[in-house]
Amino acid sequence: MSPLAIGALIGIATLCVLGTGIPIAFGLGIVAVAFLMIFEGLNSLNFLAETLFSGLNDFTLVSIPMFVIMGAAVASSRAGSDLYEVLARWLNRVPGSLVISNIGACALFAALTGSSPATCAAIGKMGIPEMRRRGYSADLATGAIAAGGTLGILIPPSVTMILYGIAAEVSIGKLFLAGVLPGLLLTALFMAWALFISWKRGEKLIDADRIYSLAEKFELLPRVLPFLIVIAGVVYALYGGIATPSEAAGVGAMLCLLMVVVIYRVWRPMQLWAILNDGMRESGMLLMIIATSILFGYMMSSLYVTQSVAEWIAALDVNRWVLMGLINVLLLVAGCFLPPAAIILVTTPILVPIISSVGFDPLWFGVILTINMELGLITPPVGLNLFVINGVAPDVRLPTILRGALPFMGCMILAIVLISMFPGIATWLPNALI
Amino acid sequence: MKSFAELIRQASRISGMASVLLILVAVVVVCQMIFVRKVLGQSSIWQTEFVTFALIAATFLGAPYILLTRGHVAVDLVPMLLGHRARVVLALVASVAALGFCLLVLWNSLFWWHEAFAGGHVTSSMWRARLWIPYLAVPVGMGLLSLQYVCDIWALVTGRDLPFGMKPEERL
Repeated sequence: MSPLAIGALIGIATLCVLGTGIPIAFGLGIVAVAFLMIFEGLNSLNFLAETLFSGLNDFTLVSIPMFVIMGAAVASSRAGSDLYEVLARWLNRVPGSLVISNIGACALFAALTGSSPATCAAIGKMGIPEMRRRGYSADLATGAIAAGGTLGILIPPSVTMILYGIAAEVSIGKLFLAGVLPGLLLTALFMAWALFISWKRGEKLIDADRIYSLAEKFELLPRVLPFLIVIAGVVYALYGGIATPSEAAGVGAMLCLLMVVVIYRVWRPMQLWAILNDGMRESGMLLMIIATSILFGYMMSSLYVTQSVAEWIAALDVNRWVLMGLINVLLLVAGCFLPPAAIILVTTPILVPIISSVGFDPLWFGVILTINMELGLITPPVGLNLFVINGVAPDVRLPTILRGALPFMGCMILAIVLISMFPGIATWLPNALI
Repeated sequence: MKSFAELIRQASRISGMASVLLILVAVVVVCQMIFVRKVLGQSSIWQTEFVTFALIAATFLGAPYILLTRGHVAVDLVPMLLGHRARVVLALVASVAALGFCLLVLWNSLFWWHEAFAGGHVTSSMWRARLWIPYLAVPVGMGLLSLQYVCDIWALVTGRDLPFGMKPEERL
């Protein structure tokens, strides 16, 4: 059987196995083991445990649990609400200030965590009820947070980019920097849409029910500033060449844990344990998916599928932008069903040689890929952010959240087009600084 | 069987605690490593390997607890579209398949671990860590994960647990 036919079979088998509702980590493992056994014999399984272990035996991966703990610490405290409250007080004379504050708080919170659902939950808990109380419609309130939350994986630090960096052998520091301007662009696009739709629907644009005094505006700053200083510290350690991403993330995690204890008085052992327990559950789930995705990648490569698919696509000889369009569609469809970690580890070894051979920059592609993954987070059936929002605001039905999130998806597609037209948005900053 | 299931659940919780502690120790060691290197100006010998191994162990030891608390992400589109009875069948198929994978990894990891133990394999770094210690997390984690799956399947068959944690009336 030709490697391409085997590739098609693998695709169908993966869909069928994951369709049973089996945990993705084990589903990918089963497909990998089954195909290795059928095409390479039982002996190919001699290295099963070793492949899983050595897939995780990489110091760069250490940054993932560290950033997850950092996010879990911040998310467990009132930091998200405070961040939002500070912005709301400072911006309350600006039209559409509440939605803008929420999206802004999401962007800032994203800089503290590498995870989208964590961003959604932390800002949404306070932001959604407040927006609805002040008369914003449910779809706009929930849609803005679902979309704002996706900034978590574009604005550094980002778990998605760490994995892409490992799989594509691109500098993670450079990737993080490449996400900054697109992250800000997307934040601006989200805010612009929120403003436009509020104006069009005739929703109250000025939320100045009351005017905040300077004292009130400064009151919360001391609680939020330390977190902003940690962000600055982690960024400085990373780009100043003082620490690798894993080391910077480790120190960031420790500092965030300490700040949650000192500033938010989360000092009871049970409370601290809950933070670590949450962090362990999320990072354990992610690392298990990573381990079996690497096994899956090993199977594809040893059956020569990865190489054959890459050669086949290269031989199609289509215009490189048509090719990029097709890759985007493929990633979008995959994003609707699979979490970013699995998609990146399975597709990057196939896609990066192709995009490099037609002259695209793998650094730039990392950003495009991440925005695609963001889209997947707010599209059913596996849109993780949609379910988080559903948990935060249980009375808002899923279709309503989806209706609210749809225009923000349009903003993301627009961002992909803009970054494709002007690749400098992604590549200028890392090339200028590193 | 009921008390056996409770015993396994308890073991999964303890394993989860060990996983949390390993992550906490890893965070502390990363900070200690930076202190030793940047402040004391000494080179770090064991820290990089220790932290990586601790987190791999945390992943395998935490897996049974994550399964117990339904933390492993899955695509539940098809189950959401089905009725209760079909859902039970699908959940059984999924759990038995996952159990098969875990048993296979367990079986293979026992030989792999024993080879490292009997052969006295060590890492190639200056630290020369004995590899059977971090390797042990794979058979222990996978063994407990398999037992946790057996309990889940039993709870599903006897109607103690709902398939995919969904109520019968829950539909897409």
